[in-house]
Amino acid sequence: MANLYVRAAPTTDLNRNTEWFTYPGVWSTYILILFFSWLMVLSIFACSPGMAWTVVHLSHFFVTYQFFHWKKGTPFAEDQGIYNRLTWWEQIDSGKQLTRNRKFLTVVPIVLYLIASHTTDYQHPMLFFNTLAVFVLVVAKFPHMHKVRIFGINADQ
Amino acid sequence: MITIPYITALTTYFSYGLLFAFGQLRDFFRKIFDWWSKSSLQGYAPICLGLEDFYVRRLYLRIQDCFNRPISSSPDAWFDLVERISNDNNKTLKRTTKVKRCLNLGSYNYLGFAAADEYCTPRAIETLKNFAPSSCSTRVDGGTTTLHVELEKCVANFLGKEAAIVFGMGYATNSAILPVLMGKGRLIISDSLNHNSIVNGARGSGATIRVFQHNTPSHLEKVLREQIAEGQPRTHRPWKKIMVVVEGIYSMEGELCQLPEIAYVYLDEAHSIGAVGKTGRGVCELLGVDTADVDIMMGTFTKSFGSCGGYIAGSKELIQYLKYTCPAHLYATSISPPAAEQIISSIKVVNGEDGSSRGAQKLAKIRENSNFFRSELQKMGFEVLGDNDSPVMPIMLYNPAKIPAFSRECLKRNVAVVTVAFPATPLLLARARICISAAHSREDLVKALEVISEVGDMVGIKYFPAEPEKQQLEGDRVKLE
Repeated sequence: MANLYVRAAPTTDLNRNTEWFTYPGVWSTYILILFFSWLMVLSIFACSPGMAWTVVHLSHFFVTYQFFHWKKGTPFAEDQGIYNRLTWWEQIDSGKQLTRNRKFLTVVPIVLYLIASHTTDYQHPMLFFNTLAVFVLVVAKFPHMHKVRIFGINADQ
Repeated sequence: MITIPYITALTTYFSYGLLFAFGQLRDFFRKIFDWWSKSSLQGYAPICLGLEDFYVRRLYLRIQDCFNRPISSSPDAWFDLVERISNDNNKTLKRTTKVKRCLNLGSYNYLGFAAADEYCTPRAIETLKNFAPSSCSTRVDGGTTTLHVELEKCVANFLGKEAAIVFGMGYATNSAILPVLMGKGRLIISDSLNHNSIVNGARGSGATIRVFQHNTPSHLEKVLREQIAEGQPRTHRPWKKIMVVVEGIYSMEGELCQLPEIAYVYLDEAHSIGAVGKTGRGVCELLGVDTADVDIMMGTFTKSFGSCGGYIAGSKELIQYLKYTCPAHLYATSISPPAAEQIISSIKVVNGEDGSSRGAQKLAKIRENSNFFRSELQKMGFEVLGDNDSPVMPIMLYNPAKIPAFSRECLKRNVAVVTVAFPATPLLLARARICISAAHSREDLVKALEVISEVGDMVGIKYFPAEPEKQQLEGDRVKLE
């Protein structure tokens, strides 16, 4: 296992904010972080596995909404602000829709939702909050929502 | 192609995620503190828009002592490094008066002309006395001296082209030439790892830019076919001009481009001129390509010739056109006369026209040094990029914590290395870049190898198994997308 090597071909994505997502190992890291955070929530709060999954699902919703769909621009100044009006989701894959990365990122909250609802036996109020979270996240990732700002929320001046 | 152990990729992503999360947490608390304490700067616009200084504040400043180290001697094989201390955890650094003698593995001093040279320096000082340190004028007004004319002829002869034009600054050469040659309705196809000066020049020209995968001629062909078939965006008219821009040696990879397979080319030889090829004429000579096939050759004098400035070499008509239109020629001050004399003398040494064989010795030395160093590093198990004969060798580090660890541990043992991280390189692929020079002796290289091996063991960057005698590489290789 320690001798498993991967080849990293250089990408053509010029946007340094998003090109790290095209290298091997990102998907596995994402899934492993979710799994280990579930273990941590279980050990800290000593709750049932279902509650732990709900907590993970909802905090995943807040974190990914903030960083993928709310924050705009890049964390460095070298690109002179050409991406300042685009959220991270709109920047990846240079704006091309329905790529493999985008499909993977859309499936992850759905799978988390299914696990969370199944392990809590579809009881309220967890079901309500989980459904709301997955609904918002999936709608935000639709191709039709590219560069759409509903009611001017999060638009620039 | 870079080969990463899978676990390292996972841990690198995790480390960057942790650093990012910590940075966001500290920013959050900083926002609360600032809201609590009233600021005296009411009514001023903020300097930074949004979070564009996040990377600098929360990641770069933590390891600031590994970059921008001041030196107090000329950058020869050994130099004097000024030590710095910080009282507030690397937010600000203060210079001390203590100086450390270190082995220089970071300067682009390929042929050893960076320090005083027995042939070049007296001539440069002579020129400093006869002409002034600066010509104080643009080329078209009063800044063309006999030195400039001689320099352009010398450069053209050295490269085997008809004519050449010389500028005072290498970066400005690229960013001023590309807008002149290309404009709207034209297409620039550039390698994905081209230098910032080329990217800037291409953006400033207003031409459409397409990028092809680094060093992959098949992808270049695919992009070319696609673009020629589609034509200009929206109007679909054919392109007025298409140009392919590649570099001789990529400064972050150390690789040579696959020149024989590309055509109608702009070749940027900033790092390769003077350093590779049997007589130092750059990648064209090394790869066996006739210089008449490359349309525009660009290069700088900063790396191998120990001076400053850049040049463009091409056909007579091209250079004549550039002299009428290029803003760096019409409005920028011409290259300083002592610098021009340094270039002329160093070209003479490389050609052997000074009467000794020092030029040929230097070229053989740098080739020998590079190949020895690279093969020794690879035998020890490091992952070293770059082709054979290239004096630039990046050693892959990957994890963000290994960057300052490697840099500081090497400095403790009196070896100064340059480490490069995001955003100059991709996020995953942080590296330490070693530049070998003809001024390094065999003992210097052996000492460097000992230090790097010891630090490499401590930091844990020997990703490949060390080879005792034979060429063996174990383990499965999984190709993932």
